[in-house]
Amino acid sequence: CSRLHTKPSISPTLLLSNMYQRPDMITPGVDAQGQPIDPKKMQEHFEDFYEDLFEELNKYGEIESLNICDNLADHMVGNVYVQFREEEHADNALKNLTGRFYAGRPIIVDFSPVTDFREATCR
Amino acid sequence: RSRSKSKRMSGFDMAPPAALLPNTGAVVTGQLPGTTPTLPGMF
Repeated sequence: CSRLHTKPSISPTLLLSNMYQRPDMITPGVDAQGQPIDPKKMQEHFEDFYEDLFEELNKYGEIESLNICDNLADHMVGNVYVQFREEEHADNALKNLTGRFYAGRPIIVDFSPVTDFREATCR
Repeated sequence: RSRSKSKRMSGFDMAPPAALLPNTGAVVTGQLPGTTPTLPGMF
């Protein structure tokens, strides 16, 4: 994959780049202070993030699908893909999220060409 | 998981620490200088 992907000018799907940061992003299973993290805490951290995202995105339209990449490899790390029922809802969300922050980091939001996550593989 | 505790603060609109911002006028786009993601998300 060349990683040169086209960004559509309109789409029902948005990509929020690198938004989810695992508590053990530096070393797997261990926090920034070097302490082991309980898997239950990890799950809770992820669910809190998911809940924040869902509640915020739900203000802008009907969510069809919300996918959060919870990986540690650098490819797509922490990417959030949200598919709305309607393109206009995605457009509304994009306009409302651009320029804002989440947990101290800027939100980077673009339209994504993905409309079917089962078929969303990079070739 | 337990819903008995009060709702946690959302991470939305949690700005970066003031020390990291050169000046507030510079971040109208929400992009800090030099923070362009090296990995535009992709499938």
